Amino acid sequence: MRADTQQTMDETLITLDNLSIGYNKQAVLTGMSFSISRGSFTAILGANGSGKSTLLKTVLGLLPPVAGHIDTASRGAPLVFGYVPQSVQFDAVYLLTAFEVALMGSYGRVRPGLIAPSRERAFTRECLRAAGAEEFARKRFAELSGGQKQRVLIARALTTRPDILVLDEPTAGVDRNATHSVMEFISQIRKERKITVLLVTHDFAAVRKHAEQVIWLHEGAVFYGTARELLSPERMAEMFERGID
Amino acid sequence: METLYQILNPDFLLRNSIYTSVLIGFACPLVGVFLVMRRLVFMGVALPQISSTGVAMALSLPMWLGFNLTEHGSHSTHALAFAGSITFTLTAILVLAFLERRGRGQPEGRLGTAYVVASALSILLLSKNPYGEIGWLDMLKGEVITISNFDLLLTAVTLVIVIAALALFHKELLLVSFDREMAVILRKKVVFWDMLLYLLIGLTVSMAVLSVGPLIAFGFLLIPALMAHLFARNMHQFTILASLIGGAVAFFGFWVAYQYDLPVGPTDVVLLGGLYAFAWIAAKILPRGLSITYKA
Repeated sequence: MRADTQQTMDETLITLDNLSIGYNKQAVLTGMSFSISRGSFTAILGANGSGKSTLLKTVLGLLPPVAGHIDTASRGAPLVFGYVPQSVQFDAVYLLTAFEVALMGSYGRVRPGLIAPSRERAFTRECLRAAGAEEFARKRFAELSGGQKQRVLIARALTTRPDILVLDEPTAGVDRNATHSVMEFISQIRKERKITVLLVTHDFAAVRKHAEQVIWLHEGAVFYGTARELLSPERMAEMFERGID
Repeated sequence: METLYQILNPDFLLRNSIYTSVLIGFACPLVGVFLVMRRLVFMGVALPQISSTGVAMALSLPMWLGFNLTEHGSHSTHALAFAGSITFTLTAILVLAFLERRGRGQPEGRLGTAYVVASALSILLLSKNPYGEIGWLDMLKGEVITISNFDLLLTAVTLVIVIAALALFHKELLLVSFDREMAVILRKKVVFWDMLLYLLIGLTVSMAVLSVGPLIAFGFLLIPALMAHLFARNMHQFTILASLIGGAVAFFGFWVAYQYDLPVGPTDVVLLGGLYAFAWIAAKILPRGLSITYKA
């Protein structure tokens, strides 16, 4: 199934219409058309350099599309993204506690020149608790382990009160146990809060277990379909022209 | 101790100099903290020098145009120097930050070249300018002697504005510095906040260079912040400690310079350097836990 496959579900949050993405007007991927519905769990798969992060950044509005159109609105209002970047990208020179990092998620609702009010601080604590990060809220963010940082960043994303949780390789640089724990948590929080999830990952096993839809970027082509369909051994063998277990 | 009583006396002849030094000592580290966090330490070296080139250029312009600067009084000279300083500083910071963001070439090379060319140009311009001899060369060397009430007031007002803006918009300035992508996603006006931060850095550097010279400006921009980073546990401690170190060293440096008849600028910077070395050794020996635990 190619990228132009349309998914019809109750409410569409993100629609890509013949979208081309890339840097400096140079397209990396072209002709993408699909949509993401409210409440879905979609994984973006692909090798390094396949355009996963470029697609994610375009969806988030961090990069302009090279061509085509992307609609990210819900009932006329712009979507609120809860973005979870890779934890390794943060500079340790910032002496921020885990709580202060998580509190940044509320800054979209706090006007410039004002400090975050107590209700936002209480909500941040609630999100840290939900993400299992409450016990290290007072510790310096830079001193936390990879898995702990991911939990704090997930808490920060939840603090934005998101329509959609967008995660860029949340298990990169995280050990196997923590990877399992982070993926289980994302799945659980999605069910509890009925949040839409868009996840970039290399982890086929996690995608098989948790994702419903898959966007697979492979050698310049975009494949879109259900996880069950795209990740079947036959389909994968067909794509790679060899069998993958 | 007698010297200390003298300089604390409200009738002390050089009171404006000490007040200005201490004001600069408190204020410079507050913007220096952002230079350290944004990894723009080399910019902190180059900017004061570029600012002083702006002063030299502004003071040379009337001479080239055939005006006699001394007829217009010291206030207009100071205003002209400030205009030159702020123009050069802001232009340089915007160009250097833009090139830094594009990520091409060698940032250290650019900043090193800017520093050395600005230094040479300042000296060349002022050596051919008759007004350069009326105190400006001393200023470039870091001699803090002749500061009028007007200069002190201008410094105080500018620095109060800078400190108020930093305190008021700390949340936004920290967010765009720490996680620019998150700021964009939260629909913050990232370019506006960057410009505001550069404006505040530019104002502080210009005022510091005009009041106490590039040497002290550079010393107080960076060394207190680097020193405070060794011991602080959170951003509040980092900012406050850097500012307190700057203010205390400015005062102590002035006292030492007055006591031993030394130039204030070099005395302050050598003191800062010595303290930084001492602090670095202390930080290696002591556990990183001298500070108060942050309460969430």
